[in-house]
Amino acid sequence: MATGRAEDSQNRSSRVKSTGAAFFIEESRKAKAAIAAGRFRSGMAHIIEVKDLCKTFETKDGTVEALKDISLDIDEGDVYGIIGMSGAGKSTLVRCLNYLEKPTSGEVCVEGRKLSELSDRELRSMRSSIGMIFQGFNLLMQRSVIDNVCFPLEILGRSRTEALQKARELLATVDLSSKEKSYPAQLSGGQKQRVAIARALASDPKILLCDEATSALDPQTTQSILTLLRRINHEMGITIVIITHQMSVVREICNNVAIIEDGRLVEQGAVLDIFTHPRSRAARRLIVEGKDPDEWNGETEDKPEAGQAESWNGAARQKDILKEARKIRIVFTKNSSFEPVIANLILQFGTPVNILRVDTRDVGGTAVGDMILGLPDDEKLQESMVEYLKNRGLEVEEADGNVER
Amino acid sequence: MWNAEVTAMIFKGIWETIEMSLFSTLFGYAIGLPVGVLCAVTDKGGIHPNAPLYRVLDFIINILRSIPFLILLILLIPFTKMLVGVSYGTKGTIVPLVISAAPFIARMVESSIKEVDHGVIEAAQSMGASNWTIIRKVLLGEARVSLIVGVTIVFATVLGYSAMAGVVGGGGLGDIAIRYGYYRYQADIMIVCVVLLVVLTQLFQAAGMRLANRIDRRRA
Repeated sequence: MATGRAEDSQNRSSRVKSTGAAFFIEESRKAKAAIAAGRFRSGMAHIIEVKDLCKTFETKDGTVEALKDISLDIDEGDVYGIIGMSGAGKSTLVRCLNYLEKPTSGEVCVEGRKLSELSDRELRSMRSSIGMIFQGFNLLMQRSVIDNVCFPLEILGRSRTEALQKARELLATVDLSSKEKSYPAQLSGGQKQRVAIARALASDPKILLCDEATSALDPQTTQSILTLLRRINHEMGITIVIITHQMSVVREICNNVAIIEDGRLVEQGAVLDIFTHPRSRAARRLIVEGKDPDEWNGETEDKPEAGQAESWNGAARQKDILKEARKIRIVFTKNSSFEPVIANLILQFGTPVNILRVDTRDVGGTAVGDMILGLPDDEKLQESMVEYLKNRGLEVEEADGNVER
Repeated sequence: MWNAEVTAMIFKGIWETIEMSLFSTLFGYAIGLPVGVLCAVTDKGGIHPNAPLYRVLDFIINILRSIPFLILLILLIPFTKMLVGVSYGTKGTIVPLVISAAPFIARMVESSIKEVDHGVIEAAQSMGASNWTIIRKVLLGEARVSLIVGVTIVFATVLGYSAMAGVVGGGGLGDIAIRYGYYRYQADIMIVCVVLLVVLTQLFQAAGMRLANRIDRRRA
């Protein structure tokens, strides 16, 4: 087995354990999420609606179709992830949500208003109700932290005293009160992103767009920023749209996710659903292979190119093993992890099964186990085993040698 | 030959040089700053692209910048007379200096503003800022260090040009240097004038750079 993969899953498992320690917090969070989910189903209006969105760019080398027929709805109060590899068009998509990029065709509605029908002035006032943060933070380097947070309020024409008061409150929210008089150049990446978040919140937006907001940060800082975003979502009820190329970010805080590949929306739905039943090739690569989109390059084919690094051989060998017998993927959720299912399965049938991969991941605060089993050759036995597992309430699906469909 | 009269003349020359350079830089910026901003804003990739307008401005700036100052000085004599009444002296020199400095300033301003990180402009747009607000608070604000360095360079250049105006009786240290050093072969007076010009340039350059460094917040 590729050792890299094993290490990776170990890391994940240990992180899940630590999440488990905060059980009560997680429980109350889930309860809130359930309430929120109920609210969506009762026909609450979508805060963002995107319909048949297309965007093409004219370049020297001809026309580039960045987005093709994207339609998606985002509910109020949701944390919605948009994941795809770089160049997939997700940054263009998020810029269409506040019309920093005007779509070539299609419609974007925010709070029921078509952005294409707004005048310049109306569009600007709409934008001030949509906060945005960026991968590169984009702070004003010549302004102090507090003046950066005051900036959107200056644009809105608020008085200096009012702006200062609001800015101080927000700096307290993001835990940076002590840095009020500092300048961005004196702050760490995580601190800069906190200032950017405070600034984005200054105009009391209903929506916060995050364009690769954690991509420039180390894992620990990413965690703290995600925790902050989650808090903002819960405490202020702000709808958050997260653009990312990291599946871990989506798993961590998103309720719903859209997967973008080559400018097309290939799959969307609740994160937990997509995690247990990935349908598209892109989703299966994200979840079954555990690869972030930036690792997809050159791996669409079964055989790696000649002359690849040693680790490739490891991966290829693993794939060979995976091809040997019939394989199934089982997903354990909280309800199914009490019983030692696999041990019982082996005892029941008196035949060993091959555990090809095991992984435990945190999906929106729920620990979810993910296992690929190689079954014995006997087809009858295979069927009974699948039946047995299904009867234990497990999600079972085929995991063919090549994980694409 | 060094008497009170010469000393007084040199002091007057220093003052005239400073006066010409200061006013020319000031009026030059009155024209060059808005034009430079307009160039940066209307160019491809600016916040309000307008290709025809940019091409016209770009063309005018290039034309004016390619005319040598000495020629411009003479070409502009009728215009200068019409505008300020005389074509010589400090007043008569400021007019061609401004005309010559303005396109140069516009280019300096344009390049300073184009240095501003596009992401910051995008952030301001995402907050609903109008182009006018972006120009005032983001472009000029974030480019201020580069703009001040620009002023320093422009001032030193204008100071040098003002000395050239001595050819047409423009006044100032350059005028004295040409009249005494060149026409009357009094090299000592010329050398004193040149040294004073060097000292003036150095002083303003150092002051400008100090100011620029002091207001720069980009360093930790």
